[in-house]
Amino acid sequence: MSATAIDYVRRRPVEQLTTFLIDGHLFGIDVLKIEEVTGKQKVYEVPRSPSFIRGLVNLRGQIVTALGLRELFQKDSSRREDQMSVVCKLDGNLVALVVDSIGDVVEIERSLFESPPDTIPAEVRRFIKGIYKMNGQLMSVIDLAAIEKEFSPNTDPATTRIN
Amino acid sequence: MSFSGEELDEFKAESLELLENAEKQLLSIDSGGDFRAAFDATFRCFHNLKGAAGMMDLENLQVHTHKLEELLMSFKEATSMPKPYVTLFLRGIDASRILIDGGVVDFSYDVEGDGAASTKPPATRDTQVPKAPAIRTPELSAEAIDEFLSECEEIVERVSANLQAMEAGGETGLAVKSRTDDIYRDIHSMKGSAFLYAYKKLGDLTHAMESSLEKIRHETHLPSKELLNALFRSLEIIDQYIQLVRSKTDRSTLDLLIPNMENVLNICAVNLPLNFSGTGSIAKPPVSAPIALQAPMTPQLATTSSMRDAELYETTKMSDENFSLPSTKDIHQPIVNKESEGATSVRVPISLLDNLMTLMGEMVLVRNQVIQFANKSDDLEFSSMSKRLNVVTSEIHEEMMKTRMQPIGNVLTKFNRVVRDLSQDLGKQINLHLHGTETELDKSLLEAIKDPLTHIVRNSCDHGIETPEARRKSGKTEVGNITIRAYHEGGQVIIEIQDDGKGLHRDAILQKALEKGLITQAEVPTLTEKQVFNLIFEAGFSTAAKITNVSGRGVGMDVVRTNIERIGGTVELASAAGSGTKTKIKIPLTLAIIPALIVNSGNGTYAIPQVRLEELVRVEQSSATHRVEIVHGVPVFRLRGNILPLVDLNAVLTRENRTDYRDGTLNIAVLNADQFSFGLIIDRIQDTADIVVKPLNRLIKSLQIYSGATVLGDGAVALILDIPGIAKVARLETAAARAIETSEDLAEKAKASSEVQDYLIVRLNSPTKHGIVLGFVHRLEEFRRSEIEYSGRLPVVRYRDVILPLISANEHLGYPPGDSSSTFVSVVVIKKKDALYGLMVDEIMDTLSTAADLDSKINAHSGIFGCLNTPQELIVVIDPFDVIERQYPNSKQQELYPAPSLASGPEAQPVDGQFPKIPATILLAEDTAFFRKAIKAVLEKTGYKVVCANDGQEAMDLLADPRNTFDLIVSDIEMPRLNGFQLAEAIRKHHTHGKLPMLAVSSRADIHSMEAGLKAGYDRYLEKLKPTILLSAVSELITKARKAA
Repeated sequence: MSATAIDYVRRRPVEQLTTFLIDGHLFGIDVLKIEEVTGKQKVYEVPRSPSFIRGLVNLRGQIVTALGLRELFQKDSSRREDQMSVVCKLDGNLVALVVDSIGDVVEIERSLFESPPDTIPAEVRRFIKGIYKMNGQLMSVIDLAAIEKEFSPNTDPATTRIN
Repeated sequence: MSFSGEELDEFKAESLELLENAEKQLLSIDSGGDFRAAFDATFRCFHNLKGAAGMMDLENLQVHTHKLEELLMSFKEATSMPKPYVTLFLRGIDASRILIDGGVVDFSYDVEGDGAASTKPPATRDTQVPKAPAIRTPELSAEAIDEFLSECEEIVERVSANLQAMEAGGETGLAVKSRTDDIYRDIHSMKGSAFLYAYKKLGDLTHAMESSLEKIRHETHLPSKELLNALFRSLEIIDQYIQLVRSKTDRSTLDLLIPNMENVLNICAVNLPLNFSGTGSIAKPPVSAPIALQAPMTPQLATTSSMRDAELYETTKMSDENFSLPSTKDIHQPIVNKESEGATSVRVPISLLDNLMTLMGEMVLVRNQVIQFANKSDDLEFSSMSKRLNVVTSEIHEEMMKTRMQPIGNVLTKFNRVVRDLSQDLGKQINLHLHGTETELDKSLLEAIKDPLTHIVRNSCDHGIETPEARRKSGKTEVGNITIRAYHEGGQVIIEIQDDGKGLHRDAILQKALEKGLITQAEVPTLTEKQVFNLIFEAGFSTAAKITNVSGRGVGMDVVRTNIERIGGTVELASAAGSGTKTKIKIPLTLAIIPALIVNSGNGTYAIPQVRLEELVRVEQSSATHRVEIVHGVPVFRLRGNILPLVDLNAVLTRENRTDYRDGTLNIAVLNADQFSFGLIIDRIQDTADIVVKPLNRLIKSLQIYSGATVLGDGAVALILDIPGIAKVARLETAAARAIETSEDLAEKAKASSEVQDYLIVRLNSPTKHGIVLGFVHRLEEFRRSEIEYSGRLPVVRYRDVILPLISANEHLGYPPGDSSSTFVSVVVIKKKDALYGLMVDEIMDTLSTAADLDSKINAHSGIFGCLNTPQELIVVIDPFDVIERQYPNSKQQELYPAPSLASGPEAQPVDGQFPKIPATILLAEDTAFFRKAIKAVLEKTGYKVVCANDGQEAMDLLADPRNTFDLIVSDIEMPRLNGFQLAEAIRKHHTHGKLPMLAVSSRADIHSMEAGLKAGYDRYLEKLKPTILLSAVSELITKARKAA
């Protein structure tokens, strides 16, 4: 998208988010941050890497790191194969966020944005910017910058579970 | 006039190139290179730069370069340039660089005096050119000026006298030429001084005088009366000028006259008559003064003169005006305009090349995929197309790589300047030698190593090379040397920087490291020398007493190492305290596409960069001798005598320890982790492939064991292993050191107590096992009995390209013939001299390593050395050479005697079969335990004292020990560390031991080896193992040496 287009979208009173499910919970990411959405990918494991790094994926010749959001949010990771990936750019490299399933793209008023409630567990709240209430469901907005920080090598060992 | 950014950039780029070239030429002049060529080139550079500066309206730069140009002119006829001048011009170049950037320079054109040019860094980086040129005229002492003026007066006198003589005429052509040369030289030097002391007008006049004499000097024309008159008049003017300067009166009136004079001189010069007769006498003036082109004698001058004619035509018309001929019109205009070299190359922005490289990488990936697909496909047409694609892609790839490759000389030659300046600043004398400047390197890598290399070179100058006094005191030459050598090796570029300075002192380094808290006192004794030197690379280290301005701006060797490792390279130090330091940098040739070995471990596929791969070994754990052993808890493998620590890749990846080394087959990749080698145990080896290296994100990179990732032809993602990283993670460094030490301990113990020897165990038609010293065995083969043919009565078999004579071991050892019903015959192939022989045995059983002693008393039969008394059983050791000789007497060694043929004196003849007991000490160098013991036994039985060495190096060490004296050296040829040839050469060069008699005893006794042996310095060369011949030779040599002494 061109700079002016992005600018235009940003100034609109509504926000567009791509939604997806992780362990039954709804999450969303700003559409502008998403490069593409893909289906099941063959993931090649990287031994000795932290658990939330599922491995590497060959995306049309590009090597993309697959980041398991389930693992990142410390939910039960029983590794179901039928998972989707939301590909974003993180720290200059492409990253595929592995999610359970993809939902719709929703448009929602920015005025409805709220800060994350305490009911959301701490492991998840770290990566959430805020929430939107949608039809009785809570949609948590992912904070990509927070995830990006995880990729810095000097992460606090207490919060990363290593294989 | 304003210029676009692009135009300015281009101007800057070109100007910097010109300056770089000028600098290079000046340095060449400084070190005595071809003066003429370098001078011309330098002049052109200044001249072109001046022109460019003028075009870009950079007045400062223009004036500055003009001055430099003028100064340079005074060396036009010289053959060399004194150092102060070279420095002046180099400083001038530096100043030019600042001016190009729009800075301000306060430059002194003074050569003597205390002067480094005070190049004031500008307060603000102003891109606009300041109005007033800030260039000072030199301040001169009154004496200097006085001297200059006196010199001028002398010159005027001399030239006047010469001109008078010429005018008088009547001299031969040769005499005239010599006069003309004298006049020219005098005027020339006056011109140089005039410009130097900033008497511009005087300089201009002398320049015109000089120019007017050109044609006469070249003997194409004759001097005319007009010219001589003009010259006389000029001399008068110069005289007046000098007087005015002396009396400090105003020179302005004279100044007006001078341009006129120049015009006159020029016109006269144009109208010189041609020199047909070669007599050089003054010819009559031409009829009129047509300014027409005269028939040129040489095309060169014609062009020059025609150019000048055209100009001068203009100037004569303006003779009324105050027209001063710009003295920059160089007579020697190069006709072949070398600037046209630029037409053969094109400037391309680096980003474009980078893009091309990336796209190239993608193309390689797709090409790999297409190939894989084609291999699976049946479609012939597609297959052939994909092959063509492969070829073309590879070629494009190669050419692409070349575009980015630049010779390392681009960076290295700059160091000439650095070393020159530094040696002056530090008051030391340092020579820089460059080798391999044509070695090519990717441009980005070149950029990356520039700073590290500079730092290392400065270090050498600053901390390495000592002052001339210090060097003299330690017996070195006053001039220190720094040698930089660059070459390709194994897919890498190696750069070695060696200085002959004071080297690294282990204790000083340890001291500093302790002070800085980098190591603890307890660790000190455990560190190897390499580890001590590597402490220098630790952050926060600096052994210099104070951080000098030159090399220690807080930028230490740690930054050097980081920078080099960032591009995938390594750096290591080696040094001999007192004699110098060597820094060795290794960098990969390219980053993007590398050849790799694809392997499997567990479910994953991994790539090992080929540059790290030394060899592949397959180990059968069932083998008795070659298997993985555990030493101090570390699995190791004996590879050709060296201990190789092992790492299980699976263990590293899964972090589970593999404990089972008992069975199965192992694949071991012997890898180079810079400081040492180790073996990586891998499950499966797949293939080799060229892979495109893709970077990993920071987090994965921080795991240390991966250096990148790649997509294979089948689309799978493979992680590229970082070999030093794996070694580190497996904590190999300390473990390896420990394992090696332990194994050395074990080896020591083994040497001290008993010695292990390898034998091949075979079965003959005898209840006892037989053995052959493994060193004799060339190959083991099996032939069909039906293939055996007969040559006369002797059995032979066709083997490779030769006919292999066969010998029955049973027959020769007196045993009944073996079972001849079997289809296959086992043969031990033995090499004697140059030929191969096959020893037929009933069965090849195994190899045995044992330290058991050979008992040679039980020597019932020829062809046998004796019996081995191993704990399990008795083994009869066969002497294969003896057996061979029995059947083929021609295979006996022909002895080669050195030139002065000798008949052994009566003392050396055996008396009653015994050799005389001459007391002597013999040094025996032999690595095979069996022969060592055997020869020692033979010698000691005769009464000699024998000292043994296990290889050439040990022999040298024993020789060097002053407590030892030897009368003779007996040596094997094939030995590790230092072989027999090297040993002989080394000993012959030695002044104390150079005359020691030396005897070579080797299983290789072919004619070439023998000749080589004698050439290396052996007095005799014998085949193993003939006791009588050996003893005869020994006593002969000892007696001869004693007689000579």
